[in-house]
Amino acid sequence: MIKFGTGNLRIPKFEKPVYLVAGGMTDFRKRYPEKSSSELCADALNMAVNENDLKVSMAEFKGLVNFCVYSQFADHFGDQLLAAAKIHDYLGFDPLGNIEIKTGGATGGHAVLAGALAVASGYANLVPVVGWERMDEVPTKVGNSYIASAADKDFESELGWMYASYYALMAQRYIHENHVPRETLAKIAVKNHGYAVSSPFSQNPLRIDIDDVLANAMVSDPLAFLECCVMSTGAATLVLADEEMAFKLTDHPVKLSAIASGTHTLRTADRRDMEILLLPNETPDTYKGYKDTREWPGFSSFLAARMAAYLAYNMAGITDPVEDLDLMETHDAFTISDIQTYEDVGLRPYGQGRDFVDSGDAYLGGRLPTNLSGGLIGTMHAVGATGVFQMIELFWQLQNKWARFHADPKMWERFGKTIPDDIEDLQVPNANRAGAISHAGTGSHVSVAILENV
Amino acid sequence: MAVELIGQGLEVLSDDPLVIKNPKNWFHIHSYGGLTPFFKALRDEKLLGTHCTAADCEPRAWLPPRAHCPDCLQPSEWIELPKVGTIYTHTTIQYPGELFKLSTPCPLISVEIEGVCTKPMSYLIEGEPEIGMPIRAWFRTDNPTNTILDLAWMPA
Repeated sequence: MIKFGTGNLRIPKFEKPVYLVAGGMTDFRKRYPEKSSSELCADALNMAVNENDLKVSMAEFKGLVNFCVYSQFADHFGDQLLAAAKIHDYLGFDPLGNIEIKTGGATGGHAVLAGALAVASGYANLVPVVGWERMDEVPTKVGNSYIASAADKDFESELGWMYASYYALMAQRYIHENHVPRETLAKIAVKNHGYAVSSPFSQNPLRIDIDDVLANAMVSDPLAFLECCVMSTGAATLVLADEEMAFKLTDHPVKLSAIASGTHTLRTADRRDMEILLLPNETPDTYKGYKDTREWPGFSSFLAARMAAYLAYNMAGITDPVEDLDLMETHDAFTISDIQTYEDVGLRPYGQGRDFVDSGDAYLGGRLPTNLSGGLIGTMHAVGATGVFQMIELFWQLQNKWARFHADPKMWERFGKTIPDDIEDLQVPNANRAGAISHAGTGSHVSVAILENV
Repeated sequence: MAVELIGQGLEVLSDDPLVIKNPKNWFHIHSYGGLTPFFKALRDEKLLGTHCTAADCEPRAWLPPRAHCPDCLQPSEWIELPKVGTIYTHTTIQYPGELFKLSTPCPLISVEIEGVCTKPMSYLIEGEPEIGMPIRAWFRTDNPTNTILDLAWMPA
């Protein structure tokens, strides 16, 4: 059983406030042979610097940068070790220092964490965080086996070479413990594929209904293809700055009021039963009787996500995430992990995550619209870019710029697309505070970030 | 001195953009290190785990085994585990990744074993999985793969 020592739950603190000043991305595609990884990152950086109302030119911007963070999940995919060095050179940042972050599916979130640590400590005052993944050099089946190389190769990878199956094991147990109908899981797939229809960046936009998901072929029961994230190629760049630099560059920076990380065993198998770590909106009474029939975290919950949420909420002064946040991006790699995460980050108590979707809270117009970007299921999972992409989408929402980046026909034309007739306006009115969850493994690493207007 | 091409030229898949096919064909030499006793024991149809005898540490066994106790980081002791358990959860894999060595559909399972603090992932070699179903260990001693696939389970 895990017992926390006195230092383990210390609330993180920034010495200096950290701001987001710009974001940019490519569209995301199953295959992107037209551009190298370096070109994709250049496109993302160009959008960040040139299309976010910054008061500097690219040349001036580059003269102000003092540290860079790179975010890529797996060298296997691009078949290029030290790809970050090539990209750093291509973007013209040599000889500035840089680091590359690798925490699986949560690499993007942790790359932003690394950039934030540099700014918060005063080590740097202007830091681009550049994320990308090139997943199109191998067939999908090989891609799945590369991803499953991030499971324990001695005891898990051979059992399917397929992360969807490792999540399906959790799904089956979650459904057994909490009696969630497949229809509720399907709603998440319908929602996120549907929101992807309104994004020019999206890879798998679909207007589907619950029956389409229920009739869809199983990858590994109870998860069907439509309930699994896409495998993408593309890039995303987010620019972080300290307060002085942020206001020098833009009139509307967004504050990164918290970002925190949690971890748990890479093998789901090894998660020992323990006491539930309570969030600010929970008390011991919240879980009276809960553990009579269940272990925690067991296979139904992610300690890493709970840990990161505990730290980030306390760091940002969040007492009730559904009330205090206006929108959220979750790491919807699979429908089941999304429901599990709603509970881990306190949107509903454990065992009741389905209500967050069934009640309508998760939709635009609901109390906490989630994955209006289309998420990983509908829009993208170019792994190293994903956590960065999430925060850029939230940054634009908080700046009230969703329409500029999603509803301008020219943005669609840039990616060879035509703006759809049924595009929805997904700008959250008066959005002021948002949360982003970046997640790896079957919950091996999770980061939770809180962004807010100042 | 003349330099000659001794490797193969690469196949062109597309001319614009120019896309080439870059083959890979090699292997990794991988050691099971301190977990060797576990994999060797499968040949003798034995299920070995590890545990720690220190008073403050997890008293139950670890499977997958750990050469060191994760609580105190001292060397663990090997112990033989019961070859019976129950299914904690399951999924039937239809579309595995490349490299999968078993036929599909294949029921993957997580196994609860008395006295073990973990729920190791494995597979059901025959039968239909259900949560709570009693199972017993099965060992691939003929034509072993020398991987975790040499341990499976069947209805008890």
